[in-house]
Order: sequence, then structure tokens, then C-alpha cells
Amino acid sequence: MNRETLALAVVRAASVLVPRSERTDWLGEWKAELWHLCRNTHSGSADPLECSVGAWKDAFWIRSERLRKAGQGLLRPGSAQRCGFFLGGAAVATLLACLCLPRTRSLLLPSAYPDPGNLVVLASNGEAGTHAPSIRFADYREWTSDTSALFTSLAWYRPAIRDVYLIRHRPARLHLAEGSQNLLQVLELPHAALAQGSSSFRGARLILTRSAWRRAYGGNPAVIGQVADIDRSPVLIAAVVADRDWSLAGETDAILLEPEARLAQLAPEVRGFGVARIRTAAFPAPRDGWRWMTETKDGVTRRYECISVNYRDGRLESIFIFAVLLALLALPATTALPLGDVPRRRGPLPHAAHARRWLFLAAKFCLVGTIVFFVSTALACELGANDAATAYIQFGSGFAALLLGFRWILEDQRRRCPECLLRLSNPARVGQASCNFLAWNGTELFCARGHGLLHIPELPTSWFSTQRWLCLDPSWSSLFAESSTLPAELL
Amino acid sequence: MPVEAKLSHTAAMILQAIHAGHVYGFGVMEMTGLPSGTVYPAMRRLERDGLIASRWEQQSIADAEQRPPRKYYRLTRAGRAMLEAAYRRYPLLEKMIPTPEVERA
Repeated sequence: MNRETLALAVVRAASVLVPRSERTDWLGEWKAELWHLCRNTHSGSADPLECSVGAWKDAFWIRSERLRKAGQGLLRPGSAQRCGFFLGGAAVATLLACLCLPRTRSLLLPSAYPDPGNLVVLASNGEAGTHAPSIRFADYREWTSDTSALFTSLAWYRPAIRDVYLIRHRPARLHLAEGSQNLLQVLELPHAALAQGSSSFRGARLILTRSAWRRAYGGNPAVIGQVADIDRSPVLIAAVVADRDWSLAGETDAILLEPEARLAQLAPEVRGFGVARIRTAAFPAPRDGWRWMTETKDGVTRRYECISVNYRDGRLESIFIFAVLLALLALPATTALPLGDVPRRRGPLPHAAHARRWLFLAAKFCLVGTIVFFVSTALACELGANDAATAYIQFGSGFAALLLGFRWILEDQRRRCPECLLRLSNPARVGQASCNFLAWNGTELFCARGHGLLHIPELPTSWFSTQRWLCLDPSWSSLFAESSTLPAELL
Repeated sequence: MPVEAKLSHTAAMILQAIHAGHVYGFGVMEMTGLPSGTVYPAMRRLERDGLIASRWEQQSIADAEQRPPRKYYRLTRAGRAMLEAAYRRYPLLEKMIPTPEVERA
């Protein structure tokens, strides 16, 4: 392989970096230069192979220039990139905000517990994912002895708010999940990191969540292993777990594992939540994560739901889809649907421009839908006291936000140049309805890149009912060209 | 003029080389002694900034001489004005790469 062929191969490889639209031109120039270089016979001329290496620098520069222009597009007010960037950023921000909210996070993320299909929460009021405790303590005590055929392990807890007193620290008011000693074993949470001596401690043990530990004790590691005081009883602070390790019902800053003897002092009617690991063979195949346990006592049959912790009823998603459909149906009542006449004078728009325009519209719909879904779901999960309230909040907030969002999308699309999607500017009012007869009056806007003018009629008439786009040919471009300013750095 | 101060010596040399009649990349490289990796990106910058303009040679001319067509560069009006300003900053520029008129004189 001679040096010319090798140099051409290097240039061809570098051409991959050059944007496709400029590649043929770029490759042609370099090939011609190499051809002349190889046939230049006088002494001291550059080596073609050495020269071809410079093609990489050239190609890199062209690529970086393209990226710089794309970056400028992001910053330019009214550009499609800026709009997409803003909406995408808002979607990511709402998702992150949702993940910071405990109830919403548990709904959006998969369960943190191992084998979540067989980990069930017991409820007696027929509400999936209920936040109201429904299992009596007396029932739990009874089931611990007579449901071994159904459950491999069974635990119970109840939400409570308690003041925790710790020496050299301010009293901390914490939301607790007060439960039986085996709660961590049932959940199969790693408890190997419990403080030394916690197994020999005879009193209750407190497991703090990371956020509560930081909030109440400033993240001080020395508090782990210390004995605190709750309701004048000694409690050992045994460990700190990640916030995500607790995703069951009830707002929880810490888990309080009570000794059986102390738990037994609770009134039989106290209600809490039952948590159990089921024996798969004892239950029929689950229907969407639901199983039932029936109990007949004194001739009365009671039915309890055993709902897998990974069960998601999809109700919020269904309500949101319904809100989307209703918002789409209501949209024509709030704004006109047509996006205006597309240009005809300079021929139809290229397919790529058409595709870009519709893709931009579809992307806006998707992003606005995503943002509204996250916001309405977060509102519903955090504010809804029960299932009905959650559904109403989800539907009401979702529908209102979607209707406003869709209306904005259409209005924004109508005010954009169909070629470059830049937002049209400089509105000028033309004519007055009271001063002209059968003449056109309305508003004119133009594309700052000189692609055309948009005419919006003030009063729709039979000959001018919707907005029209007037394409300008390239001879007008000098009027719209941005002022040629030299960059701060030429080389 | 703040823009004048921003024109580097390399850019001024390339502008002068094109002004002196070395109107394609290889010619500019030969005259300035700069490597291809410097000359081509610099010429693209100058073209982007409107100081030089390029055009392809007619295919018929290249065919008649049995060679590929070349891309030729020329100074624009802004480029000439910029070069005039660069002479004041780099007084030896004209002597380093003399134009045919200067050489004849």
C-alpha cells in the first residue's frame, strides 16, 4: 500500500466525524489537496501521510463547531431546543421530587424487600394499600398461634408519634412504627448492622431511618448504641437504615421493636397492620397480588385481604389515562385545533422539516403528559387521606393541568416557524376592522431567521378563516440575517 | 478597534497568503509553513467569520487538466479590511509573504 492510498484511508476515516451534510464537500477538498500534494515534485513539500493526519483536526473542529451551534440553540430564546430542554428538565425535576416523597416513591419504585410477592400486608377493610390500620391486636395474637399453616412468619405494627429523649440531645418527636420483635425478620431487612450489645438488651430497640437520624441527631454516629427514653422506658438505638428500607403504610421515622412482654400490655382493640410471609401452597394462585383469608369465629365469617407489597392496582394510571382522554375531548372548547396553513408558495416543506415539526409536537405532548402525571400522582399520594380522595385529587389536578398544558402546546406550535421551529417574534397589527371593508386585518409575526411571515386574522372570514404562513424566498434573507459580529477569538 | 487585536498571527498569515495568491489549502500550507491540522481549521474559522469565501473550481477545467477540482479561497471585503488592520499590528507580515505586486516592485 503506497503512501497516497494510506493517506486517503486516513482522510476517509476522519470524514466519519464530519456531519453528513458537509461530508461530500469536505472529502472532495481533502482528496483534491492530497492528489496535488502527491504529484508535487519539488523538494521540501509536505508528506501526504503527515498532511492527512491534519484531516482529523479539521474534522474535529467541524464537529465541535456543530456542537457549539447546537449549544447556542439551547440558549437561544424561543428555539425548539430550549423548549424541549426546559420541558425535559421539568419532567426530570418532577420525577426527582416524586422520589423524595415517601408515599409517591413507594408507588413508583419496585419494592425494596426480598421476594415481595410472598410478603403480604393484612387488611380487613378491603382497601389495597390502605393507610388506615385495620387489624386488631387481639386478632394478631390469635393468629400467631393458629395460622402457621398459612404464614411462615407473622408480625404486627402500629403507627404512633412519640417523643424520644436522649442525653445531650434535644427531645425528638418521631413517627414510629411500633411493632413486634420479629418485624425485621418478616420483612427480611438486613439487621446484621445492629449495634453491638443490642441482642443482649432486654428492652425495646429503635431502628432510625437515615433522614430521621440526620434531622434529629445531626447524623451523629455516636447515638447508635445509646439508650434513649420513650414514655419513661429505656430504648436502645440499635441501627440506622436507609429511608427506602421502609415502604409499608404509615409515615415512619423509626421502627420500634417492642419485646413481647411489653407488647402484650396493649389493649386488644388497638388496631395496626399485619405483615406476613405466606406459604405459597396454602393460598390459591393470586389474582393481581390479592389473596384472601377467611376466619369463622362464633358463627361469624370474616374475610381479610392479604395484599402483596409489590401489588399495584394501576388505579392511578387508569384515572390519569381517563383524565387525558377527557382533556383531549374538552380541548376544542378551549382553543382551535388547526395548526394553520402550511406554506405553498415555495413548494412544500421538505419531509425532514415536516417530520421534525410533528415530532416536536408529539414530544411536547409526551413531556407535558409526563410532568402532569408525576405532579398529579404526587399530589394524590401525599394529600389523599383515603382511596376516594386520592382518586379525586388525581383526576381533578390531572385534568385541569392537562387541559391547560395541551392548550399551551397548540398555541405554542401555531406561533412557531414551520421550517426551523423558532418562536415567531415582532407581532405587528395590520389594519383595523372598523376602518376597512372586506380588507384583511390582523396580526403579523415573522421568523427571525427570515423563513417567512405568519398572518393571523383578527376576525375569521370565509376567505381568511385561519392563520396563514407566507414563505419568503432567499432574496429576503439579507433583511433578516443576524448582524455579522466577529467572535471573541479567531484563532 | 477591539476586533483587530483578536486576530492572531496565524490567522493574519493565512489571510496574507490568500491575498498573495495562494488560494487553496496546500498553497497556504506551503507558503506559511504551517501544518495541515492548523491551516484547515483556521480557514474554516475565517470562512465562518466572513473574512474569506470559498468556491469550487469548474468541473470542466479540472477535467481538461485531468485532475480533481480544487476548492479556491478568496478574501472578502471584511477580510481585506481586517488584513489592512493586521499590517499595523504585524508590520513584517507583508515582507514574510509578499504579494506579486510587492515582489515586482
